[in-house]
Amino acid sequence: MIGSLYLPGHTGLHRTPAGLKLAVLALSSSALMWVHSPLLLLAACALVCLSARWAGASLRQVWQQLRPLIWMLLVLGALSAWSQGMLQALEMVLRLFTLVLAALVVSMTTPITKMMQVVVWLLWPFQRLGWVNAERVALGVGLTLRLIPELAVQWQEIREAQLARGLVPSPLTMGVPMLLRTLRRAEEIAEAIDARG
Amino acid sequence: MKTKDIVLIALFTALIIALGLVPPIPMPLVPVPVTLQTFGVMLAGLILGPTRAGLVLLLYVMIALLGLPVLPGGRAGLAVLAGPTAGFLLGMIPGAVVIGWLAFALNRHDKSTADSSLHEAFQSNPRWQIVRYALAAMLGGIVLVYAIGIPWLALVTKMGLTKACWAMVVFLPGDVLKALVAAAVAQRIRRLNMV
Repeated sequence: MIGSLYLPGHTGLHRTPAGLKLAVLALSSSALMWVHSPLLLLAACALVCLSARWAGASLRQVWQQLRPLIWMLLVLGALSAWSQGMLQALEMVLRLFTLVLAALVVSMTTPITKMMQVVVWLLWPFQRLGWVNAERVALGVGLTLRLIPELAVQWQEIREAQLARGLVPSPLTMGVPMLLRTLRRAEEIAEAIDARG
Repeated sequence: MKTKDIVLIALFTALIIALGLVPPIPMPLVPVPVTLQTFGVMLAGLILGPTRAGLVLLLYVMIALLGLPVLPGGRAGLAVLAGPTAGFLLGMIPGAVVIGWLAFALNRHDKSTADSSLHEAFQSNPRWQIVRYALAAMLGGIVLVYAIGIPWLALVTKMGLTKACWAMVVFLPGDVLKALVAAAVAQRIRRLNMV
């Protein structure tokens, strides 16, 4: 039920190491904050749009991710045009759109496992200091992803049980049984993990 | 950190994600959708305490940045950091720590000062406990998160601090309500001493 943003493919963008992509993204995003010329911003935007195309992203997938943002950009753009003038508004909208799309392209061309490797690599100094255990972080991520659908099903079950008894489910009546079951579940899972070593 | 702590952290992270996937309610003129996500953050702080709640939020943000669509509305990826609402997401990390710290530090405090039986009765009164939890949830989950999110929103969109504050007023009633419900739920769970 939870798919990642990753789009399988073999383009040059897919083959670039994840760490390099992330570094380039971080540097270029920060650089973009200092660019004020609308023409330069437009060029950057076009470049990022091209790279999205190169990565093989369909318009529908991009739209799905950016839909909330575009609505937001329109509102913010209107507000900013009204208070600061058209040019400022155009600059802000272009910059935000470019930044977000660039990050989306990186997310779409990098599988989760590669991203995890970068995270583990970044955590390495902390692991040396004994602050973090990268294996446990990985266990946490894996468990979380596994448990999301379970919790969604649990939420639905409690809702239906309450409806069947003629209650109107609300966060207040749902919260307690939801958490009780969750905590009991934690006990079971911890025992199971410990039993397997 | 025991295995059970890791499992609890993973479970609460999953809970926040599951609550955030309930369709958000878009509001006119305000660039942040209203979801139950912050309700989950408040519960994590109130029930798990500062350390584990902080780790829950770190894990949550990390999973989102890795590109899994776990944020409200199925958004994800590094793109979120570039967006105007990133401050609210990042603000939740210290927010959860402060909620947990307030809820737990205050509890420890009554054990040491509960000398008179009247004082003890007053402190263990469930209604007062709910009030304290609600205050903790509001200070950490609303005041602190807004204190980070609003300047960020103002900075990214260049809309000015005052205007950004006004844009957030619409969310206040919903967030206060979430804090109250989270406090009531957390009090009932904490009484059972399961964590």
